Amino acid sequence: MQDQENRGGELRVAGLDKRFGAYRALADISFTVQSGEILGLIGPNGAGKTTLLECITGLCPVRSGTVSWNGRHLRPDERNRVLWYQPDNILPYGRQRVATTLSFFRHVHGAARQELDDLVMRLALAPVLGKPLLNLSKGYRRRVLLAIALLSTHPLLMLDEPFDGFDLRQALSVMDLLRRHVSRRAMILSIHQLSEAEKICHRFLLLDQGRLLGVGTLDALCRQAGLAAGSTLEEVFLALT
Amino acid sequence: MPLPERPPRGRLARCLLAQELRSLLVSPALWLMLGIVSILVGYSFLQAVALYSQASRTALSFPELARGMNPLDGIFVPTFGAYYLSESLLLPFVAIRLIGLDKESGALKLLLQLPLSPLALCGIKISAMGLLWLLTLLPAALVLLFWHNLGGHIFLPETAMLFAGHGLFSLTVVAIGMFAAAITDSLPTAAMLSLAVTLGSWVLDFAAGSQGGIMALLGRISLTGMLRQFETGLLSFSHVAAFLCMALFFFLLTALWLHPGRGPASRAGLSLLLLVVLAILLAGAMQSHRALDLTENRRHSLNPADSRALRHLQDTLTITIHLNPEDSRLQDLEHGILAKLRRTVPRLVVRYARTESNGLFAASGDKKYGLIEYDYNGRHDASYSNSAREILPIIYRLAGIRVVQEPVPLYRGYPLVADASAYRWWFYLVIPLFCLALGIYGRQGRW
Repeated sequence: MQDQENRGGELRVAGLDKRFGAYRALADISFTVQSGEILGLIGPNGAGKTTLLECITGLCPVRSGTVSWNGRHLRPDERNRVLWYQPDNILPYGRQRVATTLSFFRHVHGAARQELDDLVMRLALAPVLGKPLLNLSKGYRRRVLLAIALLSTHPLLMLDEPFDGFDLRQALSVMDLLRRHVSRRAMILSIHQLSEAEKICHRFLLLDQGRLLGVGTLDALCRQAGLAAGSTLEEVFLALT
Repeated sequence: MPLPERPPRGRLARCLLAQELRSLLVSPALWLMLGIVSILVGYSFLQAVALYSQASRTALSFPELARGMNPLDGIFVPTFGAYYLSESLLLPFVAIRLIGLDKESGALKLLLQLPLSPLALCGIKISAMGLLWLLTLLPAALVLLFWHNLGGHIFLPETAMLFAGHGLFSLTVVAIGMFAAAITDSLPTAAMLSLAVTLGSWVLDFAAGSQGGIMALLGRISLTGMLRQFETGLLSFSHVAAFLCMALFFFLLTALWLHPGRGPASRAGLSLLLLVVLAILLAGAMQSHRALDLTENRRHSLNPADSRALRHLQDTLTITIHLNPEDSRLQDLEHGILAKLRRTVPRLVVRYARTESNGLFAASGDKKYGLIEYDYNGRHDASYSNSAREILPIIYRLAGIRVVQEPVPLYRGYPLVADASAYRWWFYLVIPLFCLALGIYGRQGRW
């Protein structure tokens, strides 16, 4: 089933609009992301990154807009067949042992035992498998959450702030792991650290106060911002806002 | 291109049920509740046995008194009173965790992405709670065992009714707790909301006890009022239906408010619709007087000959009562012959004549006060009696029928002088220590 799920595909988001009362949290957001691609969702705090991810997932009702997979419109209750969203700052089943929680999600996702063993090894989780998630340091908690996300077999994976809480070496290691996994699926990463986003994302979606500033590769965004090729993402972002 | 296949829902449901059980088992609230239930049940049982023994000493000498010695009223109902306390005050704290903890930890955002509807998700959670509720019956099971060992009598149908009543009460409280957690953002707020309902139900039942009209109706459909019906050993279909309707109502509301794709306006509108449906269902359920007397002494039943005769009354029997709602004579009449007539006579109209209340000790200005009037087939009669021995002959006289009572086996009662104090350590020490050990085991995340 995993092979079937991981065939190439394209997610298309069109005209997504979300309001909280009079406040327009997302304004007419449209973009695409394809298998084998990492799309970085870039923006300052409060830009609407998490809201956008929750709206795409169907966890948050939208005013208007569509989400489709390979040209087929996805109703909110169908999106769980295509995408998995890992929120930031969660602590699922904190009192249970890490091994139990990971095993639960492995079974839920229908992932192979080998897949879990591989993730435990690559994320160096072996020392904490017998401990409750609540008792772990922030770094270990992030790794466990990443393992839960990577156990999913969905063609599209959306991670909210996946590098938050990691030091440089750990972040590089996680990037390497994500690159291995993206060969089989598409990823959308919500990142506020621009230097890390530059290192791993193929394309970027720049968001500010719910407005879409631009979507594309760094070179394309440089051209859009009127900057010379080779400018950093930070310079592009500042130029566009 | 077709969408990827969904994982088998059966496998998902099994995984989730096991996970929910683990979540509850690691919760200190569950073990604390079980420990407290054990102490409360033990204390109630020991007190009940002591009082029953005192009463039995006299009853053993007088057979007339022995007929009143019924283990359901003397032992089991008082003992299960401890369960009522824990179900009203402690169970909500466990129930709110089913949803509230997942909301606080963020696990709910993951669970709502699984290919299970919010309804299925809530169903799995309430099933897990139901399985662990059976664990809380451990002290009750010991009560039955110890009472049997003491030589006490157990009549299974009426005892099973008591268990069923508490099962339905608990189910409703759990559904209320889940709903409270679904609409609030923190566990303390959800706990306050749940307690407001359970305690409010108790207050409503208490207040309705001495009042008529709408208050009496609300008292009848309050959770406490409905549970009391099961303590009498009468299987009333309307009360079973009312309990199930309420539990289903809060269960559906929980699923509705957890549904991520619905906005506040849609949720509020559907909630209102559900409320209207519940009101209609409750009104319909409370109209039914179908019931099954499961007591050993057949206290809710008339003599079979009376039942047959009353069932065959073709015209409408109208009873007009001139009594204040707080008058104890009306209470006796309601719970005695009137309740039996409601379940037996096909066309019965009971009217409560307007009477001015002059307080408990002052005489009423109404000359008809205390009178009960009977009208059947154009004939009229009246009496001040609230006893079946006088009322039934009046009805038969109006209907022009003669009824010869059938001989029925005499209920002799079960007086027993026993000392249950030897069992106290089970309730006060063994089970609480067992809970403590399992709670510590759970805190280490070992489940």
